[in-house]
Amino acid sequence: MKSFLLTILSFLLIVLVLNTGRYKEWFQTKPLQYWNDFRVQKNDTAGAEAVMTQRYGITYTMSMKIKAVVAKKKVAHPIILFEPNGYYRDSLRIPIRVPEPAVFYYYTGLEGVWINSPDAGKANFLLRISKKGATLDDIRSPEQLQRILTYYKKYTPIL
Amino acid sequence: MPFIAFLLLTIGHFMSGYGILTLFGIRLSKTFTITLSLLLGMAVASFIPFLLQLFYIVLTGTSIFLALAATALLLNIPTFLRIRREGFGAAGRKSTFNVPFRSFRIRPYEIPFLLIIGFMVFVSVWRCYYMPPTSRDALSGPEAIAEYAVREHTMINSFFSVDLWSTNNQFKSPYLISLQMIYKLAGFPFGQVWLSTIFVSFTIFLYHALRQRVHPVIAGFLLLLFTMVPEIYSYTFLILYDYSNMVFFFLSLYFLFDYFGNGPAAKELATSYSRPATQLYFAGLLMGIATYIRSETLVLAVLFLPLLLRMQLRDRYPVKKIVRAQFFFLLPSLVGYYLPAQLYNKYYLPVHYNVGAQVNDHLNNWQPLIQRYKDIITRLMTGEFSIQLWGYILYIFFFLFLAELIFLRRFSKEARDWLYAIIVVYLGLGLLGWILPLMNLLESTKRGLFKLIPLIIFYVAANGWLTRLSSRIYRWETARATQPVSAPLRVKPQKKRSGTK
Repeated sequence: MKSFLLTILSFLLIVLVLNTGRYKEWFQTKPLQYWNDFRVQKNDTAGAEAVMTQRYGITYTMSMKIKAVVAKKKVAHPIILFEPNGYYRDSLRIPIRVPEPAVFYYYTGLEGVWINSPDAGKANFLLRISKKGATLDDIRSPEQLQRILTYYKKYTPIL
Repeated sequence: MPFIAFLLLTIGHFMSGYGILTLFGIRLSKTFTITLSLLLGMAVASFIPFLLQLFYIVLTGTSIFLALAATALLLNIPTFLRIRREGFGAAGRKSTFNVPFRSFRIRPYEIPFLLIIGFMVFVSVWRCYYMPPTSRDALSGPEAIAEYAVREHTMINSFFSVDLWSTNNQFKSPYLISLQMIYKLAGFPFGQVWLSTIFVSFTIFLYHALRQRVHPVIAGFLLLLFTMVPEIYSYTFLILYDYSNMVFFFLSLYFLFDYFGNGPAAKELATSYSRPATQLYFAGLLMGIATYIRSETLVLAVLFLPLLLRMQLRDRYPVKKIVRAQFFFLLPSLVGYYLPAQLYNKYYLPVHYNVGAQVNDHLNNWQPLIQRYKDIITRLMTGEFSIQLWGYILYIFFFLFLAELIFLRRFSKEARDWLYAIIVVYLGLGLLGWILPLMNLLESTKRGLFKLIPLIIFYVAANGWLTRLSSRIYRWETARATQPVSAPLRVKPQKKRSGTK
């Protein structure tokens, strides 16, 4: 009987915790949501690539598209220059962020640079993002590269 | 195939960890032995690819798995020798000393807690297995290095040839790189599953340790509060350093305080509880592992020396033994700091990190230090944001602490130890944030506070009000029973050995 009463007490304590303020909100949006995700994911036959696409979102998809485009262009040592994230935030006001070079390399195996990178002067492609979409432009001369770097200088290359 | 590899790796981790427990002569109940062996084995594994790299050995599946197997076997030489000498029963029969434990039997009233915590563990494990690593700090450093190390067979790989100005994560401990490599080579494309082994082992360890101290209903309740700390829970399936650092830091203190003889064992055994020096060294080893994972833990390790000294002076240790014990407690942390943060970063990596340049130039100005201490309290430990991070555990702690301070006006020795540890973490993290401004409040210090939570849970378990409540529940529950449900601690009294007091 005492054991039964203590079992009831245990249940009550759990109910209390799961219905208290932040715990209630968190439990529903995190562990319970993860459980719902699991019920879908367990039947999923997607491979690692598809899971990464799903998990990393637009940044990963964009990086992999760059990789595909660069592969078609058959450039010996492609270095992709990214516009500063501050440009998207302050000028275009679009909620997008390009990956930092280290993460871009992890995704694609390609070298990327930001405008203030030591190797920015070696870039031979520029990733342009606008509200209409993204393009990968060739950088044809050091003068063109210099103009690009000067133009973006006023924007912060934030993470 | 990955499942078999996982099973073999788990057996290997267990063997390595068990070997270490045997080397230090530590014998515990089965549950403690299994969970602690797995945790220790994981720490050993995290060291192997790094060690191979230090000797410039090519990092392939063959070299790493052979090294893991060889390590597991070498660490168990004393066990094998004893089995050869005394037969198979020896492994479970004899040891240098016993750490006391209660008998374990699951009672009906524990099941609700086990079910809800089991549910949370399950979804965490699944997420850890299914999802790739996502934290920015992992992607821009250890995970990327591990990925290219698997392809290029060296940790010093093409990742270092790209532009790394936006990150310093390549300079952090090889702990994550090593474990990610092992599990990627074992067939898990995202690595990571090792984190679930740590999470599950630690959760079980905590529950048993809490159950030694308070009634299982209270132990279950405290473990539920711990598991439901939102910020910590998310790092049970996101690889980073802080969760593992918290685990080994806590384990170190657990064995250190047990060495002091202030835990539940000492209370019930009075004078018969011996304190082998090997247990202190074992606590030092665990602190060394924590330091290997996060180098700044060295500062916290040093801050425990006064507590050790106090105990040594109280028990009138000779000066020679005081010095020796202090040195051997700190030595693993010094090694754990030196190997990754000094030797590897300075002499192996193609790019260098000048820690000296990160040090605050204005150390004579104490205002930022005071501000940091204030910020930790007002921004991370109280207020709406703290509830988002830690749930209500800190408020429960403040309430019980004040209740004990005001109404009981005395703390048990064990509670005092945990309070000391809480203060050390608070002071240490504030100090580190002041000396190294790069350790920002809302990221580094916040995650550093993970270490606080298990300490708080154990303080609460030692709180005078809660232990009284626990005793009342026990008394009520066993009022008419012929034998108490709470089995007495089973310890063979031992003679003091040389090397101890």
